[in-house]
Amino acid sequence: MSTHREATNLSTGKFVDPTPAPSESAHPEVGATSAPLKSAAFFIGAYCKDYNEDFLLCKDENNDPAHCLKEGRKVTRCAMDLINKLRENCEKEWETHYKCLEKHNQEYYACRKQESTFNECVFSKLVML
Amino acid sequence: MSAVPQQELPRPGGFPEIRYKRYLPKLGPSGLVLFSGITLMCTFGLYRTGQGIHERRELEREKVWSRIYLIPMLQAEADRDTYRREVAAREREAQIMKNVKGWKVGESVYNSKRYTPQTHVVLP
Repeated sequence: MSTHREATNLSTGKFVDPTPAPSESAHPEVGATSAPLKSAAFFIGAYCKDYNEDFLLCKDENNDPAHCLKEGRKVTRCAMDLINKLRENCEKEWETHYKCLEKHNQEYYACRKQESTFNECVFSKLVML
Repeated sequence: MSAVPQQELPRPGGFPEIRYKRYLPKLGPSGLVLFSGITLMCTFGLYRTGQGIHERRELEREKVWSRIYLIPMLQAEADRDTYRREVAAREREAQIMKNVKGWKVGESVYNSKRYTPQTHVVLP
């Protein structure tokens, strides 16, 4: 017997839709937690600027999730690409920085020392700007 | 009685000085020094406060921008998930309503082409 429930229940985790994604929208996700993402946020913003802006312009055009799937996949792929590069080149520095962020309530100002070593590593090994 | 009148006169050597002034010891720096010192201190304090406000504003700006840079990625992920759920819900709806004639699956209740997130969802 099917029932109607408020859609807000979906975000509270009371109902998890087990249906797999349809083939046109299936895509692996980034899968990083908040601290590594926050640590790499400015690099993601700089590295994926074009894709991000394209996606946001698309969202501005039409808010329907189905409308910007292609642009969204590009955004995710770009972020994953950058994360792979960071892990290949600066994994140790990145880990030090995001662990510090985890420890300090994810405040940037508490981790300037680790941030600058991470930045130095990225700027010396990954020329992307 | 002599012809020269006797007049009252101060004692020989004169009276000592009458001490009518208050002889307080000099206490602390002068008013000018105090006033200018306090003004300087207040100026310095206000300057440092201003610097602190600027720094806090910059930190807030940094935090906000770090979130702005992450929005497209997170939104793309959320959109894919919403799309997956919507497709699944439409399939369930089609399955449930397949015997009802003239039923349009996934039809919006609004007379508008603008996308509106679903407020209700059909659960299996």
